[in-house]
Amino acid sequence: MNSWFDRLRRRNRRESEWREELDSHQAMREEWHRARGAEAGEARSLARKDFGGSLHALEELRAVHITQWWESLVQDCRYALRGFRRSPAFWAVAGATIAIGIGASTAVFSVVDPLLFRSLPYPKDGQLVSVGYFGPVDNNEFNVVSSYLDWRRLQTPFQSITSMEPQPSSSACDFDSGDVPRRVLCQFVEANFLRTFGLAPALGRDFTPDDDRPGAPVVVLISHALWGTAFGNAADVLGRAMVLDERPARIIGVLPRDFEMPQLGPADLLVPEQLNSARPRSQNSSAFLRTFARLRDGVSIRQAYQAMLPLYEDGLRKDVPAELRPEVRLVVRSLRDRQIHEVKAASWMLLGAVLALLLLACANVANLLLARVAARRRELAMRLAIGAGRGRLIRQMLTESLLLGLSGGAAGCGLGWMLVRLFVRLSPEGMARIEQARVDLRVLAFAVAATVAAAILFGLAPALEQPRAEALAGRGAIGSSRLFLRRFLIVAQVAISLVLLTGASLFVRSLWKLEDQPLGFRTQNLVTASFTLRRQQYRAAAAQSAFFDQVEARLGSIPGGGLFALTDSIPPRGFMGRPYSNIGIVGRPPVAANGGMVAFRWVSPGYFQAMGIPILAGRAFLERERASGAGPVILSASLARRLFGNQSPLGQQLVLDGDGRAFPVVGVAADSKNAGVAEPPEPEYYRLRMAHSDRLGRGGVAVFRTALDPALLSRWIRREFAAVDSTLPVDIQTMEQRVDRFRERPRFLAAVVAGFASAGLLLAAVGLYGLLAFLVAQRTREIGVRMALGARPADVALRVLGQAGVWIVIGVAVGVAGSLAFSGAIRGLLFEVSPWDVVSLVVPALLLSGAGMMASWLPSRRAASVDPAVALRSE
Amino acid sequence: MRRGDQLQGSLDLLILKTLERGPNHGFGITLHVETVSEGLLRLEEGSLYPALHRLEKNRLVEGEWRQTDKARRARVYTLTREGRRRLAEAENNWTAVSRGVRKVLRFA
Repeated sequence: MNSWFDRLRRRNRRESEWREELDSHQAMREEWHRARGAEAGEARSLARKDFGGSLHALEELRAVHITQWWESLVQDCRYALRGFRRSPAFWAVAGATIAIGIGASTAVFSVVDPLLFRSLPYPKDGQLVSVGYFGPVDNNEFNVVSSYLDWRRLQTPFQSITSMEPQPSSSACDFDSGDVPRRVLCQFVEANFLRTFGLAPALGRDFTPDDDRPGAPVVVLISHALWGTAFGNAADVLGRAMVLDERPARIIGVLPRDFEMPQLGPADLLVPEQLNSARPRSQNSSAFLRTFARLRDGVSIRQAYQAMLPLYEDGLRKDVPAELRPEVRLVVRSLRDRQIHEVKAASWMLLGAVLALLLLACANVANLLLARVAARRRELAMRLAIGAGRGRLIRQMLTESLLLGLSGGAAGCGLGWMLVRLFVRLSPEGMARIEQARVDLRVLAFAVAATVAAAILFGLAPALEQPRAEALAGRGAIGSSRLFLRRFLIVAQVAISLVLLTGASLFVRSLWKLEDQPLGFRTQNLVTASFTLRRQQYRAAAAQSAFFDQVEARLGSIPGGGLFALTDSIPPRGFMGRPYSNIGIVGRPPVAANGGMVAFRWVSPGYFQAMGIPILAGRAFLERERASGAGPVILSASLARRLFGNQSPLGQQLVLDGDGRAFPVVGVAADSKNAGVAEPPEPEYYRLRMAHSDRLGRGGVAVFRTALDPALLSRWIRREFAAVDSTLPVDIQTMEQRVDRFRERPRFLAAVVAGFASAGLLLAAVGLYGLLAFLVAQRTREIGVRMALGARPADVALRVLGQAGVWIVIGVAVGVAGSLAFSGAIRGLLFEVSPWDVVSLVVPALLLSGAGMMASWLPSRRAASVDPAVALRSE
Repeated sequence: MRRGDQLQGSLDLLILKTLERGPNHGFGITLHVETVSEGLLRLEEGSLYPALHRLEKNRLVEGEWRQTDKARRARVYTLTREGRRRLAEAENNWTAVSRGVRKVLRFA
């Protein structure tokens, strides 16, 4: 600050001096005129005329002083550009290195940052936790209404605890505010939901405990987006009446624009969940909840866990069936952990890759610029000798480094921006908050600063060095410490890029394994159409079963539709699950208590044929069985093995529901991937969807195996659905598309890491090349002497290659050690590939060594082609 | 050689030549040129100062505030050694050029 004022003051002083000088000139001229007989006024105006506008003169004076430094800057830049033109490859590589380093690191950090570091959109977000039972049923902790009511009453570690109904994302509700009926996504929450998260509606009021009492009139909060689309942001939306799933409701408020559900689900409407505490406790309660809480000030998650443990044990005893208890535990974890649990490892790994690449880039810039020193020392010594000022030289070096850094930085910004767009585009569904990713300016600034600092530091080195007379002769020895630094840099580069390459090859191999994974069903030529019935229209079970029967008949008769089946869900995910222990075998003791979950589906007879799931024993369902009421069951191979061992399950009777009715097993189907593509299949059983059955629920999937063009087929499918219910949305996808979604994440990771690895490989090769080229140039004279004394060109080339080989071997050794440590850490992200996979270690090491030797080959050639006569004469 | 180091035309030459006789301020230089050229050359007084400052930046002249005879402060310029050298160069140059130009003009 001080110096700034000083400068301003100095400038003002200078300007007033100039003005005084011009004034004194005019005063003298005025006197001159008066001496020649002019009157006072006349003399002054004459003097002014002679002078010709003092403001203009002042302006020109200013220009004289400004152009001084401006001109020298322009000159420095011109000089630098001339230097760039003289060795374009060098500057292109240095600039590209900086650009890649900045671009890649900024882009990846920008994507990862909102996941790992940025605060959640709630005040004091560090206090927010997710709490509940954790069992094999679900990826996230859940709660049971009766337990929750106890917890809410008795808990001590939380300022506030709140709950919401878990919602599969497909669940929708229908609302009608007078114009068009809309299907929207509702979230049912407790009255204190927003308050627990520290939020308040942007407009209107929050829920009150009165709104949350069972039977109270329904009030809703609408999302900011829905307020815009359905109500045109009208201020009088408050108090507006509407119909929500056939019940009258009233709008009482609008959510904040940036509102986000804690489980990151979509929400158009918030509706009070109206928990009924009067309902009796039941161990088979299907009323599940998600529970969130805000810790008291100063209470840690660990302490909260300890405090909740007695309540949890009590609830476990009362609300969880005994056979499930061994598999359930209490979980208290931060909201952030809950949100990112699946991508956490991936995010950290990406971050590591970014740092590695940035490090590589800086090392490379350093290496390249140090390589210039040799050429530069002679030039600089020369310029000093003919009288250039030292400050002038430093300034010029600085200009060059800055120009390099800034042009590389600008390219890096552009690259970073493009990469962020690309990542967002490629990113798999469910990569939380990726759509919020923007180029992060702090990180961009950091990356630019790091690389430009490296450029300046190593670019300035030659100018700062005390020039020695021998430099003039182009002969000076290079400081051994600097050579050590450069060798160290090369070894580090080789090691880092080997780690990157190993990581990439592990991911690529995982991906291959995953894509080759047998699914248990055939994905080719399979078209699926899924739908969920509107709640209000199909309230009655009769209406639902009528819809299913009609649709099945119509879809089954599409010409060319091929093999057709109607089911309530399809693999690779989305099944109904129930505890293994709920299955009973007639005439046998109960099955083991802790068997985890079993999947089941209701399917029409053509299911196995249409899906291409082989029947291993017995037979598939028959059309005529549907009317009989016998209700046959087909088991998956793994469930059959588990229930009956080596005995045949055919003809056995199973009890599947609470009512004790028994159903015969008529067949065994091959296992199919029903818990995602990467996970092993869960045991599963299939039940025949009977005619006029009301047990399918509101959702269904129609499956077609046909050679027909999917686009054409989908038109026909839509027409048939429309004939039954013209307002029903139907989602049509090929099975390939559905399965593909499960491979998106590994593909994304593999692509990103492979990108990093190739950039790293390139940088390492360039670094090696730069160092060797420099060494060869340094030793031209020595090589000349050797050759004059009889060394053959091949010997010389081999010597250079041998030197490179030593560095590469050391680098690879360090890199292998690093890779082993690294791949242990990413084990969880791999699929059927051991983290110590030999192929994934050996191939990158060979690749890197090959690339390194290739990079060394050019300089070794140059060394071999040294002409001793020329080399010695230049002495 | 840098462009800024070259003398920019005749104005610089006139200034340096005037200062060769001894230190002088801007007005003195104007007056001298007018008188000696017998009124043929009239300097545009406003543009004299940028030229003077440029010469000073290039270390051909040196400026300094002084008390003039009539109890007035004025900035007085002195020719430096470098200025003297450049003047000699420029004078030779100028003579050569003007001789050449005159010959061409006569010939035509």
